[in-house]
This record gives sequence, C-alpha cells and structure tokens, in this order.
Amino acid sequence: MRGHSGARRVSRALLITLILVWSAFPIYWALNTSFTTLNGAQSVPAHFMPSPFTAQNYKTLLNSSGGVGNQFWRSFLNATIESGLATVLTVVIALFAAYAFARLEFRGKRIILVAVLATLLLPVYATLIPLYRIMSSVHLVNTYPGIILVYTSGFLPLAIWIMYNYFASVPRELEEAAFVDGATPVVALWRVMIPVSLPGIAATAIIVFLMGWAQFIFPLVLSSDLTTQPVTVVVAALYGQRIVPFTLLNAIGVLAAALPGVIALVLNRYIVQGVMAGSIK
Amino acid sequence: MPVLLVVVLLAALVVLAAACGSSTSTSSSPSAAATTSSGVLPSPTAGSSITVVYHYPAPPKSVLDQFTAQTGVKVNWVEVGWDNLQTKIATAATSNTYFADLTDVDWSKVGQYYKTKWFMPLNPYFDAAALKADMPQIDTFASNGQQLALPFDSSFTVTTLNTKIAKAAGVTGTPANLTDYTNALKQIKAKGAVPNPLDIPFAAAEGLSTYWYQLTAAYGGQVLDASYAPQFTAPSSAGYKALQWMVDAYKSGLVPKANIGMADYQGFTSEMAPGRVASVFSDYSGSVGSIYDVPSSSKVVGQVQYIPTPGVSGPAPNLSNPDGVGIPVTAKNVAGALAFIKWFTDTQQQAIWAGLNGSSDVISGFPLPARVSSLQLLAQGNKVSGASELMTLLGSSRAEFPGPGAPPWYSQFSNAVYTNIHQAAAGAETVQQAVTNIATEVNQLKASQ
Amino acid sequence: MSGERTPTGRKRPRKRGRFLPYILLSPLVLFIGALALYPTILTTVQAFFTVNPMDPPTRFSGLANFRALFHNSFVRQSAANTALYIVVGVGLSTLFGLGIALVLQRRSRWRGVVLALVVLPWALPAVVESVIWGWIYDPTFGVLNSVLKSLGLINSDHVWIGIGRIVSIVLIELVQVWQITPLAALLILAALQSIPQELYEAARVDGAGRWEMFRRVTLPLVRPGLAVAMVESLILSLNVFDQVYVLNGFAPGGASIMLQTYQISFNNLNFGQGYALSLLATFATMLLSLLILAVVYRRVEF
Repeated sequence: MRGHSGARRVSRALLITLILVWSAFPIYWALNTSFTTLNGAQSVPAHFMPSPFTAQNYKTLLNSSGGVGNQFWRSFLNATIESGLATVLTVVIALFAAYAFARLEFRGKRIILVAVLATLLLPVYATLIPLYRIMSSVHLVNTYPGIILVYTSGFLPLAIWIMYNYFASVPRELEEAAFVDGATPVVALWRVMIPVSLPGIAATAIIVFLMGWAQFIFPLVLSSDLTTQPVTVVVAALYGQRIVPFTLLNAIGVLAAALPGVIALVLNRYIVQGVMAGSIK
Repeated sequence: MPVLLVVVLLAALVVLAAACGSSTSTSSSPSAAATTSSGVLPSPTAGSSITVVYHYPAPPKSVLDQFTAQTGVKVNWVEVGWDNLQTKIATAATSNTYFADLTDVDWSKVGQYYKTKWFMPLNPYFDAAALKADMPQIDTFASNGQQLALPFDSSFTVTTLNTKIAKAAGVTGTPANLTDYTNALKQIKAKGAVPNPLDIPFAAAEGLSTYWYQLTAAYGGQVLDASYAPQFTAPSSAGYKALQWMVDAYKSGLVPKANIGMADYQGFTSEMAPGRVASVFSDYSGSVGSIYDVPSSSKVVGQVQYIPTPGVSGPAPNLSNPDGVGIPVTAKNVAGALAFIKWFTDTQQQAIWAGLNGSSDVISGFPLPARVSSLQLLAQGNKVSGASELMTLLGSSRAEFPGPGAPPWYSQFSNAVYTNIHQAAAGAETVQQAVTNIATEVNQLKASQ
Repeated sequence: MSGERTPTGRKRPRKRGRFLPYILLSPLVLFIGALALYPTILTTVQAFFTVNPMDPPTRFSGLANFRALFHNSFVRQSAANTALYIVVGVGLSTLFGLGIALVLQRRSRWRGVVLALVVLPWALPAVVESVIWGWIYDPTFGVLNSVLKSLGLINSDHVWIGIGRIVSIVLIELVQVWQITPLAALLILAALQSIPQELYEAARVDGAGRWEMFRRVTLPLVRPGLAVAMVESLILSLNVFDQVYVLNGFAPGGASIMLQTYQISFNNLNFGQGYALSLLATFATMLLSLLILAVVYRRVEF
C-alpha cells in the first residue's frame, strides 16, 4: 500500500489510542476506584489516580475471614469448576461430532447439523424453565453436575461450529495417508486430526470457558445458594444490596474480571483465530 | 429415517406431558385445616440436619450449636436476598423440588400460598389461639383457618428522622402532622445543609409499594377495601393524595434525583446512614439498631430516632409487615424443622436475636421480636436502641390489609403499584394515569379469581 | 455396499464403520435432544397452554397467552425498548467494529497487544462490566458526571439511568456494545483479510484514491463479514438481560423483552405467558436475522 505520510501516521496513532482508551478505560477506572478509600473514591471532582492509595480492599478480600471475602472466593471456585468441567465435556463431545460432520458421510447429516446450529438462535428463555424442571426431576438442581450439563448443552453448538470449520480446512491428504496405512477413522482422528487442529481445539476450549464464566441468568435460577453460585450471581447481588462500599465492590469486580481477563490477554491469539476461523463461510 | 422417528417420538412425548398437566401437583397434599392442635411435636432424628434459607444473616454459630446440642439436629443456614428468595421459593415449588426445610413466608404471600398449597399447615403442632396473646401478629400468617407460618419478628413501617440535622436547620420538636413534616423537610432543604432531605425508594421494587401504603394510612385511608376494590381512584381519596405527595416530593427536589433507581435498603445504607438525607417516612422498625447506630457502616450514630408517623391529623397507624417462617411441602426433615420453629420463636431466643445478650448473639438486621414477652425482657434490659419508642408504636400498629389479609394475587398487584409509581415519578405517566393503571390491574386480577 | 472402492482405492468401511458417525454423534444428539430440543418443544407447545400455579390446572388455552401479551402495556413497552436496544447495539457495534477492523488490518508490531486489549471486554462477564459501568454512571460520584462538569458541559449532577427513557436505554446498551464490539471487529477483520491484495492493486492502477478503494473494493467484499457481525449483535442485543437487570432492575422505562419474560415467569408465575413471549422473541430473532442476511450478505467470490 501507499507509503505512510506523517499525517497518516499521526492519525493512525490517534485512532489506535482512541481504541485503546475505549477498550481499557472502564477497567482502569475500576482499578483506580478499588485502590483507594471510600472518601478518596467519593471525592468531587473524581481523581484519576487513586489518592489516597491503599490496598486495603484487596487485603479484606484475601483475608476471607469476613463474610464478603468468603462469599466471593466460594463463588470464584464454583465458577471455575463449573466452567472448567463444562469446557472439558463440551470440547470432547464437540470434537467427535465435528469430525463426523466434517469427514464422514451418513444419512441425516444435513438435518442434524442444521438442527444443532439452529439452537444458536434460541433465546435463553426458551429452555430455562423446562431445563429447571428436568434438572429437578433428576435431583440435580443446585449441584455441579446439573449446572455443568446445562452449560454443556448450551455451548455445544458454538463449539461444534468452530471445530467443524477447523476440521473442514485441514487437507484431506493427511488422513488419506493414515488410511493408506490401514488406520480406521477413529485412529485418524486421534493421530492426525487432533494434533493438527490443536490451535482450533484450544480456541474452542478458551472461548467456551470464558462463556461459562460469564453465565448469569441460568445460575441465577438454577443455583439457589453458595454451594454452586458463580461469581456473576454474587457480584450482582452485592451490587444490588449496596451494603458493600463501592471501593470494595470495584475490587471484587477487578478480581472477578482477573481470571477471564488474564486468559484473554495471554491466550489472545487463540481467541482471535477461533473467532475468525469460524466466520469464514 | 431414524432421525425423523426420533423427532416424532419426542414431539409425542411432549404433547403427552403437556396434556397430563405438569403444574404443581404435589404428592403430599396438606391435611385439612385443623384448628385445634395437640401441641405435641414429633421428635427429630438425632444427627439429622435441616436447611434454613432466609433473607437474614445466620445467627452466630455458637447459638446454633446450642440448638444442635438440645435436639441433635444440625442447622445449615443459607442467606439469600429477599427478591431472589421469593424467586427461589416460586421456582422450587412449581417444579416440586426440595430446596429448604424452612424458609421465609412473607406476610403478603399468605393468601397466595393458601391457594398454591406450597406450605405445610402448622395447625396440628402449634395452637394459634393460645399463642395469639403473646404473638399479636400470628393471624397475619393464617388464611382460611390454615396456619401457614409463625411470625419470626414483628416488623412494621415507621418514620425515622435525623434529629441532629433537623435541629441544625432550626426545626424544633417533632412534627405532629403531615403538614408540619413537609414544612420541616422544606426548611431543612432551604437551609442548604442537606439539599434533598427525604428518602423515597423510587426503584420499581417492593419497597416502593409499602411506602405508598404507609403514606395512604397517614392520609387516613387504605388502598384496597375488604373486598379488594380499589380505594384510590378519586383525587380526594387517601391513596391518590398519597401518590401525589410522593411524586410532588420527587419533582420538587425534596428527594434526591438519584432515588429514581434506588430500592429501600439501598436508600438506608447509601443515603440515610451517611447522613445525606434527613428522614425516611416509611423506614423499617429496627433500622436504627441494625443500621444507623452501627459505627462501622454509619456516619450518623446516635442521631436518628423513631418518631410517630405524622398523619394528616395526628399520629398515623404503622403498618405491620412481619416476616414469617414456614415449612415448604417439599421439606425433607419436617420433625427437625418443627423443632427449629419452636426454638427459634420462643421468648428467650426472640429477645436474644434482638440484643438481650449483647451484640455478639444478635441476628444482624433483626427488627423487633414477635412475642410481647420478649419485648418486655428487652425493655427491662435496655439493650436495644429505640426499644421504648418501638414498643409504643407496636401498640398502635395494624395490618396492611386488615380483615381478609393480603390477596392471593398480591405479587402482581404490588408489581403494578411499584411500576406505575416509578413511572409517575420519572415523568413517564401522570399521577392520574398511574392511578387508573393500578386500578385497572386490580379489577382484572379480581375478575380472574 | 461392501466391497466398493472409492476413487483413491480405499475400501469403503464395512458394517462397523457404517455406524461410526452415529456413535460419534450420540453424545451430541443426547445432549442437544434432551437439553435443548426437548425443552424448546416443551416451551413451544406450552405457550398455547395456561401454565400458572395460581390458576391450576395446566390446560389448553389457544391464543389466550398471546392475546394477553399484546394487551399488556408493559410488554409492549419492553418490545419498543428492545427495538431501541437492537438499533443501538447493532448500529454501534458494527460501526465501531468496522472502524477497529480497518485500523488493525495492517500487521504491525503493536497489533498483537492492541488486539489483546480490544478483545478484553468481550471476555469479561457482562454482570461485572455492568457493575463497573454502573459506578461510572453513578449520579453523585461517577466519573461521567465529574468529567462533564469539569468540561463545563453540564451544571449539576445528571441522573443518567432511570429518568430519561431513551438516554437510559442508550447508556445501558453502551455497556453491551462495549462487550460485543470485539466480536464484531474480529468477524469483520476476518472478512477484510480474505480480500486479495490484487484487487486493491488493480484499483490503484486504475487511479483510485483511498476513499474510492474503500468504497469500490473493501465495502462490497466485506459484506459477508458485516452480515455475520450484525446477526451476532442482533441476537445478543435482542436478548439483553444482564446489563438491564443490574443497572435498571425491573423499571419499565428500560425493561428488555428477556427481562419482561423473566418477570412474567418468576414474579407473576405466569409461565404460559412466559413461554409465549419467548416464542415471539425467537420468531423475531429469526425474522430479523434473515432480513439482515438478505439485505447485507452477498456471496463473494474472488
């Protein structure tokens, strides 16, 4: 393309700065609010750097002998377990299914694929109450397995979509070579497909995990207490009750955002690839 | 084709399930209402446990351990916020799922619970007639002869005033009637120290409804009559004037603009406790002891007092809204739950929750005990802020729907009330429209019975 | 069927292989069948029944639920609100997404870092974001009021959410836009990167300037990406719940359809109407998605 003139460079830098500010400002503001006292946060006009600076809010949370700290960490654990196990289950099932769709021919393939992907259009509500009824009839309400099963069923269509695209873009020659050696399709899947598509599988796993961590309305209904309530439900409840001061609340928000945030920042490459690969069709 | 077959089978299954009716058919239907009871409770199994899900924090572990020592039953107490809790109760009941052995029965839901049969009648185990003298609000929790819960406290709406701010603005004495009260607020506003002195929780939530009921009582009326017909449609009626007063207070700046999104407890903790407003017309009994006089979360310790609610012509009755504790029909450990109710509501324990043994054994936020005998213990011990004022006010309190109690469709009614009042304050509706909308909803609900 | 040979000379799998796809798919079909399709069918069917613990028993009632919904002014209001949520959500996320994608098209040293930060809002839970933004919007202590006052644009503290219906909706939706723009940006970026350089070269040879190239080459060829991004944003903004619930509760001035459905089902206990509203929302989603695809999508071939 054209060479970069000075003005163009400047305007480009400006745009990038704008984009960065837009993306990062609320998080920076949450950090700013969390590292100060209530008086500091309530100062008028607002301070852009925490003053006075204190890490007390985080100390309170890490101490976890108090009620709020306990609530938070328990919900953090719940979210991680629920999302983590749902991710594992989803990826395994989606792997097999996507392979079948991408490589095997069989009757009903088109219908099943369309049916699975069509569920992406369903509003959350179409399934919430019936799912509650189903889960309660097998006594799985407010249990990890119950929630994990519900998450998995919700994430499967997207996981399959991403992996299907990945598998479809792998050249057939690789598996053909394995077949010539006498491998069955399953062995080909294990020895060829999966290793080659590891980035795609990683991307799927990361995206599904992040989605699981962000779930709100399902656990709001399916999770009656701290045995299984994830971070989102607890944070919303604390915000609504306004008993927790805003400085502490922002600290909680920062910690709640820390896990998905770090994953997104460090494993960014996979997320980007995963989304972009899924879109080319 | 195999796939097609599966789909057809599924569809058939579903139609079958739907036709058979998948609503709340409970396998254990409650026994017919017995008005006399043996007073004998079944003995709980030692080593068993019960789950109590409630919207108050748990009593201190040491106290719960005493119950375990007495009965052998372990207590698992889970605190869930009120709105969330009502949803949990509804979802669990409609899918016939166990979620607690004991939970909240709100005064406003008793009519609904009688209809939906979600709670176990306690008549065989507790003699309501005998208890009434000591528990004046026990009737609130009975519907058509079925005692669906016992009162756990004796809460009522009450007016609080920050006397320090009032005095600093030159307001002398306690406002004797609504006009004096309004003028006092205007004076506090004019002097500038507190630019918006009144707290009304205008968020579309339950707290706004009870605020309106209390103001209507101050205007000398009720919102619904004994047959649940709307009483607030005429501009001269108490309910209409009360609504007008609330909306005017917001529009004229007596109430902070931000209150449009604030619910009741939010207002107490983020406005009254930091001293940013001077008064809550419809506060909850116990706020002074549990919020305003708690040094770690309040800047106005010792400044807030309960005052007689100023009505148009003198003190107005305070409306009671006690919390009840009941046993869902899906409970697993009924014997344990019954033992807990008995222990939880006895004279000594009720006084302890409110502070008889000092602040280490209280239930945080606990209003007033349900038993008169407990109140007497407290008054002697002088352990609760404002106890004497509260006892006097309790004497003049009345139920919000005296006579038939709350209607079974109370939730939808309250929903219509708080959404329309919210809209009126936000300027999206006129007071006349709001009143008409609420009345229309009431008539529809009545017709559908 | 056994014994045939495929073009590459491989024997087509025998009996055991014939069932392989079904074996591989069985967990999926089980999950989706039991936990997605069955509940959906249940919802669809029971939308035509009266399902209400306050009004037993469950019985067929035809279109009664739908009629009640149309007559319910709060439902109509939430539909209007949601329409605005969609317009703002799809419009802004696509616009910003396109902008971000255009700026980040070119590989540079910084692109990785910038992309990482851009994707960050998408990875965080909506509820947590709503709490953070709620504090920014706070009337008394929020930084929005503080900055606007310092700039002299307003005189006193503005209550942003709860008073003005349109302002509330726009600001609540802005929180969702913040979250979904990264997704739109990535989808559009993928489409941008699949446009062959030769086309730009050819256009330049023809004497086209930057704007011309954008209009003649980029825009038409990025349409598939735009369409997919818009459909994604549509689905997300039509279903907006978390942000509304946290920032505005059940106030009718900002209630979305999903919030209204939740309220009808759990506060009013009228599950039949809740099912009916979900059904209507599903149809609206499908209709609007098809509309977007019909208008914006163009099959592109290079």
